[in-house]
Amino acid sequence: MLAAVRAEWFKLVRRRALWVTIGLMVALAVGIEYFLVYIVATHPPAGAARAGAQLSALRTGLYPDSVIKKSLANASGLVGIFALIVGVLAQGSEYSWATVKTTLVQLPGRISIVGGQLASLAALALIMTLSLFIADAMASYVIATIDGNSAAWPSVIDLLKGIGAAWLILYFLTVLGFGLATAFRQSAMAIGLGLAYVLVIENLVFGLLVNLGDTFKQIQEWFPIANAGYLQDSFGRASGAVAAAVAGPPPVDAAHAVIVLALWLVGVAAVSATLVRTRDVT
Amino acid sequence: MIATPETTDLDGSHTVVSVPARGATLVETHELSKQYSGGVLAVAGLSLTIRAGEVFGLLGPNGAGKTTFLRMLTGLIKPTSGTATVAGGSPGSPHSLAHVGAMIEAPAFWPYLSGRDNLRLLARYCRLPDTRVAAVLAEVAMTEHAHRPTGTYSTGMKQRLGVAAALLKDPALLILDEPTNGLDPQGMVEFRNLIKNLGTGDRTVLLSSHLLNEVEQICTRIGVIRRGKLVTEGTIDEIRGGTELIVRAQPADQARLVLEKTYGADHVSVRDGAFSLRVDMSQTATIAKSLVMSGIDVTELRPAERSLEDVFIELTGTEGGS
Repeated sequence: MLAAVRAEWFKLVRRRALWVTIGLMVALAVGIEYFLVYIVATHPPAGAARAGAQLSALRTGLYPDSVIKKSLANASGLVGIFALIVGVLAQGSEYSWATVKTTLVQLPGRISIVGGQLASLAALALIMTLSLFIADAMASYVIATIDGNSAAWPSVIDLLKGIGAAWLILYFLTVLGFGLATAFRQSAMAIGLGLAYVLVIENLVFGLLVNLGDTFKQIQEWFPIANAGYLQDSFGRASGAVAAAVAGPPPVDAAHAVIVLALWLVGVAAVSATLVRTRDVT
Repeated sequence: MIATPETTDLDGSHTVVSVPARGATLVETHELSKQYSGGVLAVAGLSLTIRAGEVFGLLGPNGAGKTTFLRMLTGLIKPTSGTATVAGGSPGSPHSLAHVGAMIEAPAFWPYLSGRDNLRLLARYCRLPDTRVAAVLAEVAMTEHAHRPTGTYSTGMKQRLGVAAALLKDPALLILDEPTNGLDPQGMVEFRNLIKNLGTGDRTVLLSSHLLNEVEQICTRIGVIRRGKLVTEGTIDEIRGGTELIVRAQPADQARLVLEKTYGADHVSVRDGAFSLRVDMSQTATIAKSLVMSGIDVTELRPAERSLEDVFIELTGTEGGS
């Protein structure tokens, strides 16, 4: 499988569109979650509901000691959407360019090729995660400096845990995009359905069902988007534009969220591999 | 020297890749069929044998099932029934693919990569050194254009790069599906010469086409398929009916008697004022000698050849290719 990993990585790193997407992702994440929030916090619109302590919390939430919470909020929100798109592009383009057949008549075998793709995407998700944390850290440092505050950073252990959690969320979303592109053999449908699921479907369905009883709350605890949120919340809730306005502690702990996300990741990867292995390439 | 591709079988064990000897069976299919969902029977019980060293032409009208058959040989699609062995392995298995280079329909490449990088990418899949890339680019005369992104390539350049990609593994079996499709007349001539050269060594070439002229010029043996079935196979001469001799001789009555007496009445017929004699071509000199010895003047003695087009139309009916 090493040959397939090398080949897939060779292909990914030379694809400018992916790096542009990742660059745009980082720029938007920092621009919206840090600088736009900072502008709102420092120049509140007249008659704004938030005032006093709330604005102060919004502002201090941008400082370095909150960088993990902020980055995780980004990973579950805007950056996660980009991760999904990266996953779709990585596989959907293979179908639109018809390079699937070019690849499959080479040596490694179908499962090795999928393994190589998923391994490369894992590395790409790590790059996205690190880019996000570095950009967020730089932005928080700049804001703290502008405000004349000392930069108090989280501990290295917490930082590593946060990076691990963000990587898991982003990697799951990347693999979800990859899986949808594999299932539909194209990008457009995969992006459309992927976005609909991540942004609307799961939250909407369970938002309605939980009113019918606790059973549905317990079922929701086994779904991926909910668990991405629980994992994010286990590091504390971030203040900002994208942060969820939900009160109370998350219903499950971080370990549960990690296990559920990992299971979904493996499940989507296994279904993708099965589809690639068994389907005809026409 | 070309690095030999390594293969890993499904059980994880490494397999030593050996090249099939010339004349050995390289491709063997038995009652291979493919029915697509929707009920379309693209290939219907196709049995075929291709031996190492041949340049085999798969001839058939559009929609005859040629591409489906080749896709099955490369493992891109699975047969509904029947069996196939390609280079000693099941189609699409690492063991088989180690010996097979293929260009199925229009070659497809990553458009943002240069021609060279596309081949370097494929070489990585096969654990081949980058030096192999330079060699195959030179072989298809694409070195000069190798730095350009393939998204900017013309059809002819893509076809050449497709052949280069198929040659990367230095395969024992080269499968080319309609390789001159979309080329201008000059490009077709150049491409035909390229394929002829590729088939001159020990390499086996399996070429599909609906262009009779192309197949006639390149292939040593052909198979004609129609509606997914193999309707005939053999050498070009055999297919064209090279087992008939045309004889013109005077006096005709006397000549007919001699021929019928020697070869049997059922082997002799008259067409356009000449005798058509169904015998082995090696009998030509003997026939001439027996007629002359009987005092008959022989004015014409030659193999009867129908054009491949005639045969093709006859075999495929009104579906005849262009």
